[in-house]
Amino acid sequence: MFHVFKTFPNKIHALWDINIHIKKGEFVFLVGPTGAGKTTLLKLVYRGILPSKGQVIVDGVNLSRLKLPLVPYLRREIGIVFQDFKLLYDRNVFENVAFSLRVVGTKNIVIKQKVNEALNIIGLYQKKNTYPHLLSGGEQQKLCIARAVVSRPLILLTDEPTGNLDPETSWEIMKLLFKINIWGTTVVVASHDKLMVDKAQKRVIRLEQGEVVSDTRKGIYAK
Amino acid sequence: MIRNILFYIKEAFLSTKKNSIISLATVICLTATLIIVGVFLIISFNIDVFITNIESQLTAIAYFKDNLPEAEVQKLVNEISALKGVKEVHYISKEEALQRLREDLAEHEDILAGLPENPLPSSLEIKVYETDYLEEIANLIGQYKGVEEVNYGGELTRSLMMIFNFIRKAGVGIVLVLLTISILIMFSVIKISVHSREQEIEIMALVGATSWFIRWPFIIEGFLKGLLSSLVAFFVLSKAYKYFINQVREIIPFMPMGMEQEFVIKVGILLVLLGTLIGIFGSMLSLRKISYEEL
Repeated sequence: MFHVFKTFPNKIHALWDINIHIKKGEFVFLVGPTGAGKTTLLKLVYRGILPSKGQVIVDGVNLSRLKLPLVPYLRREIGIVFQDFKLLYDRNVFENVAFSLRVVGTKNIVIKQKVNEALNIIGLYQKKNTYPHLLSGGEQQKLCIARAVVSRPLILLTDEPTGNLDPETSWEIMKLLFKINIWGTTVVVASHDKLMVDKAQKRVIRLEQGEVVSDTRKGIYAK
Repeated sequence: MIRNILFYIKEAFLSTKKNSIISLATVICLTATLIIVGVFLIISFNIDVFITNIESQLTAIAYFKDNLPEAEVQKLVNEISALKGVKEVHYISKEEALQRLREDLAEHEDILAGLPENPLPSSLEIKVYETDYLEEIANLIGQYKGVEEVNYGGELTRSLMMIFNFIRKAGVGIVLVLLTISILIMFSVIKISVHSREQEIEIMALVGATSWFIRWPFIIEGFLKGLLSSLVAFFVLSKAYKYFINQVREIIPFMPMGMEQEFVIKVGILLVLLGTLIGIFGSMLSLRKISYEEL
């Protein structure tokens, strides 16, 4: 990201002159208080929004110049895990994960293989016929991760993945994310979970009121 | 490709099942509208049949004075043939007129037996191109010396035609209004169904489905609802029309009406075409833009 500004119609400056470079295969925490602009930054990466000023470049593509019909193809390279899960509650675990492959036209046999593989890694294979509302918060979060990584994306964006979970489950989720990172996916985690960030010892970018206030290797949550 | 189509169809059915009450309401609304449209189509077709029938009979008859010399008759025939708007002129001699009357009376031929001489005048059957010419031509011919009298359908025919033309035009207007309404119904219903599947659409957009991939299930849903509605409407209409036509034929045996075969093909094709187009168009309208922004 080069000199990225984002101003919303209500004149709030969500992001102010952001310059971040995340290398392929990195694991990055995006920290800061609520309203610091973490979610906005993630949205810029998957082109949920466009910057008001500046350039966002993902995998060599300048998103401001990316034509709308090509946005889906960018999205296929990015896995996203949302704070509010965004699961389909009328479909079972298997179908939720399969959904993201189906809509990009994957063959059934490949879908079956990939989904089972992802569920095995995530640890939800036993519950593949269960419906999401019967899962615990941690399991639902895992399901979201499975859906995001089943297509083997280049980048995984996660927004508060440990939001409402107990420390033990949170760490489990973190370990999953590390695993995914080790396999080559660039992982960006927006979080205000101090405990997890400190324990992880990864690169930490701190946002405050839309500005980057610190960017440290093997960082901790607070300065 | 086939895999995708199967996915679209599956999703379309899933959506219909999910919103079963709304789906049912749509089909009923659309069926009702299509039935009304169909009724107007049938009326319009029948008016066409009727008008064609009348138009083929647009004839004025000029009766000649008795004992008009042959040369005079020939002269009149030539003059009348040359008039503007005259399509065809056919001379009927006294003998031919009597012959026709005999044929018409058939079994009651004995009525004619007592006649001392042929009382029928020779005449000219004048066919015109359009009703509008009829009165003008008839008046003109009436002024010729050798012509005793001119008869033509006149006022009755003309007012009948005017009424029919009015009904036809009004029918087109009503059909247009109904079609607009039904597209709007389809539009709102698909909108509801889109709304109820907002999250699925959002997720599709987020995991990289193209906008057309997202649209297709809804378009198919609209198409299927349109198809179902038009088939139901057609079934109801064809049954009702068959009954109606039988009733009419019992009262007026020679009433010119659209034949069943013709009706089945024309109205059927039109209704299915209309129904499916309304379905598809309504869906497209409610899905003009898939948003990839601000998710």
